[in-house]
Amino acid sequence: MSVAGLALHPFSTPKTLDEALALLAERSARAEKTVLLAGGTDWFVERHVAPAEEAGVLPLVVDVSRLDALRGIAVEGETLHIGAAATYLEIRKDARVAARCPLLAATARDVGALQIQARGTLGGNLASGSPAADGVAALAALDATLLLRSIRGARRVPLAGFYTGYRRSVLAADELIEAIEIALPPEGSPFAWRKVGTRQAQAISKVAFAGLAVVASGRLARLGLGMASVAPTVALLPATRALGLSKPLGEVTDADVEQAVLADVSPIDDVRSTAAYRRHVAVRLAQRFFGELRAL
Amino acid sequence: MAPSIGTSVPRVDGPAKVCGSARYVDDLVLPGMLHGATVRSDVPRGRLLGVDLDPAFDWTGITVVTADDVPVNAVPLIESDQPVLARDEIRHAYEPVALLACEDRLRLAQALRHVTLRVEPLPPVLTIDDALAAREAIRGADNVIKRYRITKGRGGAAVEGCEVVVRGVYETGWQEHVYIEPNGMIGWWDGDTARVEGSLQCPYYVQKGIKGVFGLPDDGVDVTQAVTGGGFGGKEEYPTLVALHALLLAKKSGRPVKLVYGRQEDVEASTKRHPSRVEIASGCDRDGTLRAVSIRVLFDGGAYVTLTPVVLSRGALHACGAYRWEDVTVEAVAVATNTPPNGAFRGFGAPQTIWAIERHLDRVARTLGTDPVALKRKNLLRLGDTTATGQTLKESVGVEECVEKAMAASGYVEKRERGPVVTGRTARGVGAAIFLHGAGFTGSGEKYLKGKVAVDLLPGGRARVRTGSTDIGQGTETVFRQIAADGLGIGVENVDFAVPSTANVPDSGPTVASRTVMVVGSIVDAAAKELRARLEAEEKARGATRSAAWERLAADPARATSLVQYEPPPGVVWDDATYSGDAYPAYGWACDVAEVEVDLDTFETKVTGFWAAVDVGRVINPTLCAGQVEGGTLQAIGWALTEKLVTKDGKILNPRMTNYIVPTSLDAPPFTTTLVEAAYSRGPGGAKGVGELPMDGGAPAVAAAIEHATGLVLDRVPMLPEDLFEASVKGGAR
Ligand SMILES: Cc1cc2nc3c(=O)[nH]c(=O)nc-3n(C[C@H](O)[C@H](O)[C@H](O)COP(=O)(O)OP(=O)(O)OC[C@H]3O[C@@H](n4cnc5c(N)ncnc54)[C@H](O)[C@@H]3O)c2cc1C
Repeated sequence: MSVAGLALHPFSTPKTLDEALALLAERSARAEKTVLLAGGTDWFVERHVAPAEEAGVLPLVVDVSRLDALRGIAVEGETLHIGAAATYLEIRKDARVAARCPLLAATARDVGALQIQARGTLGGNLASGSPAADGVAALAALDATLLLRSIRGARRVPLAGFYTGYRRSVLAADELIEAIEIALPPEGSPFAWRKVGTRQAQAISKVAFAGLAVVASGRLARLGLGMASVAPTVALLPATRALGLSKPLGEVTDADVEQAVLADVSPIDDVRSTAAYRRHVAVRLAQRFFGELRAL
Repeated sequence: MAPSIGTSVPRVDGPAKVCGSARYVDDLVLPGMLHGATVRSDVPRGRLLGVDLDPAFDWTGITVVTADDVPVNAVPLIESDQPVLARDEIRHAYEPVALLACEDRLRLAQALRHVTLRVEPLPPVLTIDDALAAREAIRGADNVIKRYRITKGRGGAAVEGCEVVVRGVYETGWQEHVYIEPNGMIGWWDGDTARVEGSLQCPYYVQKGIKGVFGLPDDGVDVTQAVTGGGFGGKEEYPTLVALHALLLAKKSGRPVKLVYGRQEDVEASTKRHPSRVEIASGCDRDGTLRAVSIRVLFDGGAYVTLTPVVLSRGALHACGAYRWEDVTVEAVAVATNTPPNGAFRGFGAPQTIWAIERHLDRVARTLGTDPVALKRKNLLRLGDTTATGQTLKESVGVEECVEKAMAASGYVEKRERGPVVTGRTARGVGAAIFLHGAGFTGSGEKYLKGKVAVDLLPGGRARVRTGSTDIGQGTETVFRQIAADGLGIGVENVDFAVPSTANVPDSGPTVASRTVMVVGSIVDAAAKELRARLEAEEKARGATRSAAWERLAADPARATSLVQYEPPPGVVWDDATYSGDAYPAYGWACDVAEVEVDLDTFETKVTGFWAAVDVGRVINPTLCAGQVEGGTLQAIGWALTEKLVTKDGKILNPRMTNYIVPTSLDAPPFTTTLVEAAYSRGPGGAKGVGELPMDGGAPAVAAAIEHATGLVLDRVPMLPEDLFEASVKGGAR
């Protein structure tokens, strides 16, 4: 769909979050379909690939990109709070993110290219639920918590509990993602961000790896890992995390990491890459991160 | 007046394109215009039993065209075997079967979903091997479209007697042009006159197609080029089909019809570079002197003949590379498959065979334990040498200078001697390719083409170039102005360029084959100089100033225009029967050096530096010329590293820019381009063609650099990280 095609849809621009939530509640009660429009960088493409059915009623498009409640970036105590509709560009330019959460800044710099970064949001990245979502991989490594809100109230869901399957999540029909909360690691905590895409920019990940660690006397006090494009949802690599936390870093061998990662991932062959290559890269990127941690 | 040739006159078409005021075909709106769409088959091969329109759908206001509406249902080309719309037979998965037009685009999209094709599928032939096995015959008994044989000396059999014999097989895949603007045409009828305007390279090719299908005379068809967003060969033959479709809908509806492809349809249905397999056996002395070579070239032509015979010809003629061989056999075969017809693409068959011979000589060097460039240099064609077709090179061979310059600029020799540089988990290496590209049409082509150009004197001291050579982004408008300005001795700002339209420009031959500057430019030059002589004579005969003479000639229709026809250079002799003689009037030569960094864990290859030294005869416009070299090289790097068309059962799985991966500006290496000028006596100012040459060297240079960095030997394009990984699993890399 082109931007011109947007005019075919009924369109609404609520002024406040409450107004948006009321609208969502009303429509979901009548089983009517609503699309929340943030940057539109996923939805337009999806629309183009699978055009609207001619007979069906077109969904109402609700622009949430300008809702104040979804916009800001804030640090409260040791929690980083990112509005679901904050753009990648805002994220990568934010001084607090750069200082306290450089992993997320690095990821934001690697999404699409500048044009996409100027519009795309973490809320959209999360809600689309693509297993190739770079932002979600970073949020997985950061063990982010999602603040979901509906007219019924707010709830906090850890990322690990958000997805229920390929492009499926616990997000209810009357609910939206308001914000993402991240427990900030100590300044200077080691991290890794490595995107293996199809080219240097405007690339969907073949594999993307995010890692974050807090090291205390040769052991990991905190370890977060996230990996895109190796499973039906962004992978949190539980076996690899457990391995890392289970013994002193010096005792974690490359062979251990390989075994754990292979237990954690289940990649497929598709137009972008092969399962064998993805397995290999997944293992190597995790081994590199452990190697860097050991070398600290 | 200081000459304009040799200076970087800014592109005349640039400002309008950059500011968005240039009007491409999709920007044009005609009164009463309908939008057109194409109904295509979705199986690669089958019998078409019927085209059904859903009776439940409201068809009012929708024009439907099928094969029954086509006067002569064959696109006129080399063999006219391709129907305008399929009638009984489906021969590829995107075969056009019916056409729809409607004023409202949304209804048009809906209507498309209410057309059903009844097709009885047949087993398809999808690969070169399928075609050669000929279990299914889709063309003749053997599926062969065309064969050529080139022999020299004792032929390829002499390989067996040589001291060192090396064999190899080299393959390449499809490449999609990804011009920035997809195909599009508007067609309408003016009484009995057919008119089209659209995105195209060759207005007279489109005119020929329309004449043939509708049975019209020359002056019954007017084809005009709209501002065109790139072509790379992809708008050489294909636009004819789009124009025919638009005109069929226009005829039936009585309204102008605009038919513009989306990206996906364009990738799926339009032409692509021929996939290839080249088998080489070569023989040389132990000291590396090349002696004999036997080459088998196989091209996949796709479903119809289209331009495959000529593409194969150029492939065969470049198969021996830039080297001296005493004994040669080149056996070239193109086969038919049930895939969309492959066609013209920058390089036109040469990139495939240059890839093969360059990779092969790298293999020979490996066998001999010597550096590939040292081996290649020892065997380079020089002035006075004869090529595989027996052509003696009489002038304009700048290859040695290209090699020297590229070596010096890149530090190749020192870098190779030092060996690959491994830092942590990245390995850096360099590799080179040396190559040639025949400029202009093959063999006797130009003799038959009889290209013409007109230059007009206009009032007010202005002049105008009228030519069928189009500007598709490569700078024709600008360089022709420069050539005409110098020929006339006036400033380039006083020269206009007529919009190419068959109604008002002569047929200069197609905008292809790196012939625009070298061949058509030389006609511009001749026409301009002829006018200058007229002006001088007028000045002498009737006195007064040059500008007075100019105004007098400009006011006299009998004397204001010079129309000149191309004179093929004397002494260029070609024999089509034996495939021997002077294959091309001149060759461009080049040496490329690529430096790459390979991540030894992810096998991603990044080209970190690229040095090209290119002999173009004479540089007309340095910025545009270097732009051709760098753009063409980047296109070659894309072909080498990322551009893979994934197909399944004859269908393309990645027909979109998100998954057919062309390089971005971030994938472009820093280029160091050196332009070498070994003048060609018949080119304007000495110029030869440059458009295609840079497409030939990028892939083998990158492959050689990957090999240097990692020890991995890849003989198939593209070389994706997955391929390097697989090779490392098999071969054991660093
Ligand atoms: C050229 C290009 C390059 C890209 N490159 C990358 C890349 O490198 N890495 C990557 O991960 N992705 C990439 N993408 C995909 C896309 O840009 C990202 O997923 C982006 O984060 C989507 O955000 P958005 O705001 O544009 O989402 P939208 O398109 O606005 O929305 C996507 C979906 O999320 C829903 N949604 C949006 N906001 C909310 C909310 N607050 N609550 C609940 N539901 C919501 C929408 O209803 C819709 O269903 C690319 C896309 C394009 C077109």
